Amino acid sequence: MDGIKLTKVYELGNPYLIPMPEPAGCRNALSVKKKGSLNSMRLRTATMLMFVTTLALVAGACADDGAEVRVVSDEGSGSVSGTGSGSLSGTATGLSLEEFEGGTDNPLVQQAVDNYKAYVAEQIDLMIAGNEVLADAIRAGDLDGSRSAYAPARVEWERIEPIAGLIEEIDGAVDSRVDDFEGPDDPEFTGWHRIEYILWELETTDGATPFADRLQDDLAILRREMSGLELPPAAVAIGAAELIEEVSEGKITGEEDRYSKTDLWDFNANVEGARQVIEFLRPALEQADPDLLDSIDAGFSELNATLSTLRDGTGWVLYCRENDSYPSPLCTEVTVTQDTIDLLKAQLAGLSENISLTAGTLGLK
Amino acid sequence: MTSQASHLSRRDFLKAGAIGGATLLGSGAVLGACAGGDESEQAGSSGTVPESRFVEFYGPRQTGIAPPVVPTLGMMAAFKLLTPDRETLRDTFADLTDEIQGLMSGRPPLIRDEAFPPTDSGILGAEPSPDNLSIVMSVGSSLFDDRYGLAGKRPTELFKMPFLANDRLDPARTHGDLLLNIDADHPDTLQFALRQLMRRRRRDLVLHWLVEGYTRGAGTDQMAAGAPRNLLGFKDGTANLDSHDPAMMERFVWVQPEDDQPDWAVGGSYQAVRVIRMFVEFWDRTPLAEQEAIIGRHKSSGAPLGMRNEFDVPVFGDDPEGARIPLDAHIRLANPQTPESEENLIFRRGFSYTRGFDGAGRLDMGLAFVSYQRTMSKGFLAVQDRLTGEPLEEYILPEGGGFFFALPGVTDEGRFLGDGLFT
Repeated sequence: MDGIKLTKVYELGNPYLIPMPEPAGCRNALSVKKKGSLNSMRLRTATMLMFVTTLALVAGACADDGAEVRVVSDEGSGSVSGTGSGSLSGTATGLSLEEFEGGTDNPLVQQAVDNYKAYVAEQIDLMIAGNEVLADAIRAGDLDGSRSAYAPARVEWERIEPIAGLIEEIDGAVDSRVDDFEGPDDPEFTGWHRIEYILWELETTDGATPFADRLQDDLAILRREMSGLELPPAAVAIGAAELIEEVSEGKITGEEDRYSKTDLWDFNANVEGARQVIEFLRPALEQADPDLLDSIDAGFSELNATLSTLRDGTGWVLYCRENDSYPSPLCTEVTVTQDTIDLLKAQLAGLSENISLTAGTLGLK
Repeated sequence: MTSQASHLSRRDFLKAGAIGGATLLGSGAVLGACAGGDESEQAGSSGTVPESRFVEFYGPRQTGIAPPVVPTLGMMAAFKLLTPDRETLRDTFADLTDEIQGLMSGRPPLIRDEAFPPTDSGILGAEPSPDNLSIVMSVGSSLFDDRYGLAGKRPTELFKMPFLANDRLDPARTHGDLLLNIDADHPDTLQFALRQLMRRRRRDLVLHWLVEGYTRGAGTDQMAAGAPRNLLGFKDGTANLDSHDPAMMERFVWVQPEDDQPDWAVGGSYQAVRVIRMFVEFWDRTPLAEQEAIIGRHKSSGAPLGMRNEFDVPVFGDDPEGARIPLDAHIRLANPQTPESEENLIFRRGFSYTRGFDGAGRLDMGLAFVSYQRTMSKGFLAVQDRLTGEPLEEYILPEGGGFFFALPGVTDEGRFLGDGLFT
């Protein structure tokens, strides 16, 4: 880990080096209904390795080399270095992302992909930690604590959603919305939004524990399977674009966290995740099309400026729009005006157009 | 409509070999009828598909307002401009102009490497076919607020559409900074144009409302049938201004140099848009005699009550008590045929729309009324003022729209729509 310069807490998980037992929830996870999300549609040809035979050494990707890349986060930026060299060697069989023709000859892009793999691994670690807080609060019957832990527990997922969504079974199990089911009581409706429904709509922690347990199991599977996932460079670039699409599609409409109104946590996390990809791709984009990179930077900059007006302490205001019904237990007043939403829509749309050009600019198919 | 204008229309139709031709919400039908010999032949054979062509974009007026052939379909898309500053606004208008010009002339899409998203949606294939596509760009009064420093450029009669009599305006379907009026003969052409235009400046345009529909019979093939019918079943547009009469169009539609308007506005036109719901089930339960009395025309022939032919001009002076055509009949209020009312002529270009049904199970449909005029006060507002309180109000409900200003045309490639705003 010599080459890593950390200006924030950014620990690459050695746990990856330790073989992990198969979680108990594994079989269930694989039987749940798939979520028809944007990313799973786009990447549906991806067939996932069900039981990872070898744990990939994602952490190893950050071994030496020393190339410094900024890391985007809430708190500021840190840096991480990485190297390409086949660290992700663990996949044995069954993995094919058929839509992508494959690799890249560009070492800058390869570097970005390797860095991104490390970033994904780190995010999953943080995700698992955050969800332990959530699960503990639920098990303790602490409604307030559970509610407080809900939005933060989703942040890392939302940062890497298109890539995490490659593990379709887990995506469906942890992040499906009620719309994917006949109703909120459907036993297959699991994951964060089932918990969200219980905490806010039923106003209790009763009955949430099995879903918290299951969520933890599923995230453990996610960690294992992601570690064995071969990431085609194009998937990384397109993933950035999809994160922004995700915001435009689900967050701006308030559909994602309809019970808790915590959509802006997800919104910001999607933006952070997309920006992180661009940060990793920065050297390659600087070389390929500096004007495009400038446009993308300007797009993030103005979007973040708009978002910053919606900050509330270290978190975000609840997503209470003009069309919501008032008063409600969560929304006592409009917190996000139509004008702000319109501006966000425009800024997201402009950013989407530019980010959608990155894969082509880098010649990734 | 003045008797003079009506006579012109009638003569044109006779010239075209049509039996009592017409104008609906647009005078395009009339236009087509008096164009050339070939079109006259088309007009004479019922069922002929209107000739498809590319509509010339360049000209001192926006050509889509009074195109040679009024296409069968219409769409209006109103946008909020989220453009951060005046310089970017200028770029936005220039880009939209380029896109409009390309769409109207059938410019094939740029081909780029397959690792990129394609530059167009592809829904018209490799090369768009001619489809009488025209696009008219208009601006709302809100463009002249404090955002872009354009307050001094506002056309003097462009203001936010007020609630008029009988209105129940839905804010989500009313007003807008920018209005794109798209006409074509096929729905996929409309959708193609809309998507290309929005994509060209996605950072700047946020869709505010959208209405689409059809002007059945507005094309040359429908000439023999006269004016198209609206969703109340009545011919609508019979007495419209004849857009093939340049003198009348100059006098009533286009802003003139001598008008008390900013210089840049010359050649533009005030545009009133009213999305008017029609309560058609209620209307369909109304006796025919009452329907005809409300409108002032025979439903079947379209002729003014007591007359025989659609293009007969009512002479209200002969009917001072309203024995034949009630004093509060729609056509009588809209155009009393007096010397004073002649200055209130407007050029209508609306279309019928449908958009499903409401919570009560009633069909949600009506007229997307559009009129162009040289002044708002003497044009639409004067007519609307006379219509206030008409019996028809019971059956209709204006729910959206707005007041806009259709920008002057673009005369050459070095210029763009609205460039006069930035000089």
